[in-house]
Amino acid sequence: MQILPRRPAPLKIVGRGLVWLLVAVTLLLLAWVFLTALRDTRDIFQHPFGLPTSPRWHNFAKAWNQGGFSKAALSSVYVATVASVLAIVLSAPCAYALVRRRNRMSNALTLVFAMGLGVPGQVLVVPLFVGLAKVQLTNSYTGLILVYTALALPFTVFLLTGFFASVPRVLEEAAAIDGASGVRTFVQVVLPVVRGGLITAFLLQFIANWNETLFAVVLMQGDKGTLPVALIGFVQSQQFSGMDWGALFAGMTIILAPLVALFSWLGTRIIQGMTVGIGK
Amino acid sequence: MTATVPAPARTRGSRAGASRRSGTGRDPLERQQRRLFWPFAAPALLFYTVLFLVPIAYSAYISLYKWDGMGEKTWKGFGNYQTLIDDPTFHTSLENTLTILVVGGLVTFAIAFALTLALREMWGRMFARSALFFPCLVNAMVFGASAGFIFHPSGPVNTALRWAGVDDPPKWLSTDNSFSMITAIVIWSATGYYTTIIMAAVDQIPPYLYEAAELEGASAWGKFRHITLPLSWDVVSVCAVLWTVSSVKIFEIVLLFGTANTNPSVKSWTTAMYVYQSAFPQSAVPKLGLAAAAAIVSLLMVAVFTLALRRLMRRDPIQF
Repeated sequence: MQILPRRPAPLKIVGRGLVWLLVAVTLLLLAWVFLTALRDTRDIFQHPFGLPTSPRWHNFAKAWNQGGFSKAALSSVYVATVASVLAIVLSAPCAYALVRRRNRMSNALTLVFAMGLGVPGQVLVVPLFVGLAKVQLTNSYTGLILVYTALALPFTVFLLTGFFASVPRVLEEAAAIDGASGVRTFVQVVLPVVRGGLITAFLLQFIANWNETLFAVVLMQGDKGTLPVALIGFVQSQQFSGMDWGALFAGMTIILAPLVALFSWLGTRIIQGMTVGIGK
Repeated sequence: MTATVPAPARTRGSRAGASRRSGTGRDPLERQQRRLFWPFAAPALLFYTVLFLVPIAYSAYISLYKWDGMGEKTWKGFGNYQTLIDDPTFHTSLENTLTILVVGGLVTFAIAFALTLALREMWGRMFARSALFFPCLVNAMVFGASAGFIFHPSGPVNTALRWAGVDDPPKWLSTDNSFSMITAIVIWSATGYYTTIIMAAVDQIPPYLYEAAELEGASAWGKFRHITLPLSWDVVSVCAVLWTVSSVKIFEIVLLFGTANTNPSVKSWTTAMYVYQSAFPQSAVPKLGLAAAAAIVSLLMVAVFTLALRRLMRRDPIQF
């Protein structure tokens, strides 16, 4: 074949230019949100591309205190964490049972869970609101946690099924020969092997709950709103007084920062969790 | 992304092991696992039934009634669906959702393939991929609100355009344009996700196929058309289903696009927004029956598109 290295085709150069342009847009947008959060609104409009001269942490204080982002951040952390853990506690044994028992029943149940992946949230929002209102669980953390747990089940079961299927059966056989009960084998032998999968499932569910908006807006119209509710509330409160962009960007930074941190720390895991299993 | 390779092989191995043993029937492990099936599966199943399956059925049930959530339900039969057929607002919502689904989908996949090809053998591809992927993890409202400033009449884009000598920049944030802007944001934020999935599939195509094609003088397009596309077709068809589901759900970016108004204009509504606005209106009587009917229509839309896509995109599996 060719001995000399080939020059890349012009199309390829254009393509790569496009890639780096998109990468730059994404990174600049993030950097710009963070930097603008440190600037004064008047200054922001005079020099849209300017950098903060003296960082105004005041914006963060305003978003955090007056904007209600502090309480919302706590609500978000609490609801997202508990709901993700609960979803995994419920899904892990179920996924394991579905993988290890292969008969018509377990195949049908796997299919029923998989079909849940195709149900858009708006189908559930009215019934769940009516149902939770009946048992006084609207504007309650418990109510939102229950909803997020249920919404997480199809995907978590699906994801964990893949991880459990890759556990060699020999391990369980060895444990059974040693006289371990089924529950003990599951907890002490199988779960440690799929620890990576459990962490991935937790991360993805945490991110999904962190961002979830439809149910948060509908169910948490009181003082217990999560971050998306606080963001909408903040924009609403500024509608007539003129937008305090500095504080708005500070609020968005509070929403973004944990995602950026998680993604730079565990990005590969997150990407794999969201894409592996699709190629099969 | 290499993790996709070993997983199926291992799965097959363990399943073969399971079936080999099921013949004996007296395996203590087999017995143990049979006994544990219901205790393990029941809690998740119960949760799922009460908070997921029953609500779907309940949605279908109240879609046949007129109900404000407080008073009595009155039977309407398919009246709510008739109302949807006659309601121009619902037409707009449905049209918008279908636009994102079809047009947005085609654009997203075209860009995703272009990016996949450009990323092949590129320096820094993993970093570029991660940066492109990140937006799909962010609540779209952040982009919607940012757009409110970036495209503000005196914001950065228009300032830059004025420097470049454009005196009459488009009214980015006007109600007429907001749906196009929303579509663009949706496409931009989803592209990295689909690029990553398609990239993983394309990486598995053996390079000798391309070498052979090159020896026979295939053009770049020819290689794409006859190697890349057919060999990643299965993954594309799964992606198409994922795209369908996610585009029918689009809600928050419509709720908070721009920052002038948190009560979005009807022109940018999607079916999810229609459900929300009918069930939880800011100043009107809630129409829960109508909302449920619209929700059922969007569920049917997912079902119809999913079945049609699986059918249309089915190919005989290609071994390589």
